[in-house]
Amino acid sequence: MNLIDLKHKNPQEVTDLLGAKEREMLVERFVSLGLPSKKSEEYRYFDVEKVLDKAYETLNYVPKTLEVSDKIEIVDGVVVAAPQGMRIYNEACQQIDMDHFDPMYYLGHLLCPQTIKIELDGDTEVEIEHTYTQSDTLIHYRIVLYNQANRHATVYENFICEDIENTLVLYGYDMHIAQDSTLRVVKMQSMQDNHYAMIASHKVNVAKNANAILKSFDLGGDQALQLLKVELLEHAHVDAGHLLYLNADSKRGTVSQIVHVSEHSTSKQEAKNILDGEARGIFDALIRVEHSAKYTKAEQNSKSILLHDKAYMASKPQLEIYIDELEASHGATTGQLDPKQLFYLQSRGISYVEARKMLVIAFANTLIEEVKDTRQQERIKSAFEAVFYKNT
Amino acid sequence: MSNTVMKIENLQAKIGDKQILKGLNLELEAGKVHAIMGPNGAGKSTLSKALVGHYDIEVLGGDIIYKGKSIVEMEAEERALEGIFLSFQHPVEIPGVNNAYFLRTALNAKRKHEGKEELNAAEFLREMKKHLEMLGMKSDMISRSLNEGFSGGEKKRNEILQMLILEPEVIILDEIDSGLDIDALRAVSEGINKMKDGKRTFLVITHYSRILDYIEPDYIHVLKDGKVIKTAGPELVSQLEEHGYDAIEEE
Repeated sequence: MNLIDLKHKNPQEVTDLLGAKEREMLVERFVSLGLPSKKSEEYRYFDVEKVLDKAYETLNYVPKTLEVSDKIEIVDGVVVAAPQGMRIYNEACQQIDMDHFDPMYYLGHLLCPQTIKIELDGDTEVEIEHTYTQSDTLIHYRIVLYNQANRHATVYENFICEDIENTLVLYGYDMHIAQDSTLRVVKMQSMQDNHYAMIASHKVNVAKNANAILKSFDLGGDQALQLLKVELLEHAHVDAGHLLYLNADSKRGTVSQIVHVSEHSTSKQEAKNILDGEARGIFDALIRVEHSAKYTKAEQNSKSILLHDKAYMASKPQLEIYIDELEASHGATTGQLDPKQLFYLQSRGISYVEARKMLVIAFANTLIEEVKDTRQQERIKSAFEAVFYKNT
Repeated sequence: MSNTVMKIENLQAKIGDKQILKGLNLELEAGKVHAIMGPNGAGKSTLSKALVGHYDIEVLGGDIIYKGKSIVEMEAEERALEGIFLSFQHPVEIPGVNNAYFLRTALNAKRKHEGKEELNAAEFLREMKKHLEMLGMKSDMISRSLNEGFSGGEKKRNEILQMLILEPEVIILDEIDSGLDIDALRAVSEGINKMKDGKRTFLVITHYSRILDYIEPDYIHVLKDGKVIKTAGPELVSQLEEHGYDAIEEE
């Protein structure tokens, strides 16, 4: 399959190409937004045509009998193992957002009539491990995640791949965070050596009095974009943090829309970006406060450090506000490592390389240290150091 | 001078386009306390920066001989590993770098350089706690980010803590007394005096004689317009107090 074939096609042609009969509304949304190109605002800084315009192999997604494991293991888009008693189903997604900004959200749903539905029970902590094993392949799957009201759940997401190349992964979540609950999702993705590219398009619904804590750690090279839409109901809160540490000619980042739908909702979004080599980081983030969302508090910030003169950060924090009764702030800074700090460390006998590493990690630390699980925190730090030493 | 540990010969250096040091000569005797005094803009801080290889400084000529070899071309970290330590006038804040982690990294870099085994976290903490009490430092200061949110006095104490842990051979104290209240000055001075063992050499850079009441100098050097214009014993301090720098003629 070559996804570029979907460019400028009418609904009937898209339906035929994707075999998407009886999904007219999704097809119409996809066609109206159009297949992303370099002219699409959300994909401006990402070489989307390069990753779409390839003849990919496709896979048959056949549900497997689950083995027992201490984590949810998804191999090439199919769940193969899970902790005992974990409620996982393959079924059609019941709640698709018909107002998502990303056409790939709809393409993902069109390609995945069956989604992986995970219901988190109680105060739980679970790891989801995504593994990719196929070269030259389009791997597409979507996950629908529910938690329970009044409960606090945590999901750790990790990504590994075998020695593959030229694969494209389209995946994403539809998360439903129940009333009075907290769902914490920590994603750690270290990519290198062009094994695969990824477009991850998510939708997060945060119910009344619920908290969504979304942390992403995107490290290394390659091409990947996460597109995130969050909707906040009354007294709902989202705390989103994104750490990018990129090298080589990587193009990665976050495009997001946080929508304050109801009163007293709050959002905090922080991006920290460290770019080396010829890497390009993307933080294109909109906070929209609807007429109905009085007394909103919204805070958005992006800080970037460029370690190389060819590195580039596309930071675009934006506020779109339709009411007066709110508190909102946003900002973006881009700079380099502080030579005074670097010298101070060196003047105590610490080598230039080590001093640089300490400052780079220090910059990232406020986000890394928010990961409470020490094993996961160590995993992020190790991946971080691996990227650092690869660069030096 | 017998037993010279560092010899600065005809040192000329500039910061940006401005030449600050204009042929400075100075010998530091091992185990002695040398005080550098001089008016604002004389080049005192530039000298301290030149000795530790600060990136602001461009050496135009002359040499700095330390333990028999030139260090002018050495990187800052090499000079530190060889035992030269600068206590900064304004220590920089580094959010996100844990103070204890920083100190242990610095100490282990030095131990590695000396062919000694590195200390693990527990061994290091035991070592450090000995010094904290003496300096009147709260134990939480070591778990905080390096100098972040520290008061002026806390920053200076932290500099002295680093000095006590790293045990350098030549210690340059740049305006160590600035911004210190009397208790902090006493604690800092105690830390410095503890390091005086007859082998370590101190270069105390100061505007005022106050610090010299606590750290007794062996030599006073007057720096003016980028040159040392007079060297004498501690009796020079009272003369400077009385008549000021203008009264000192170049020797």
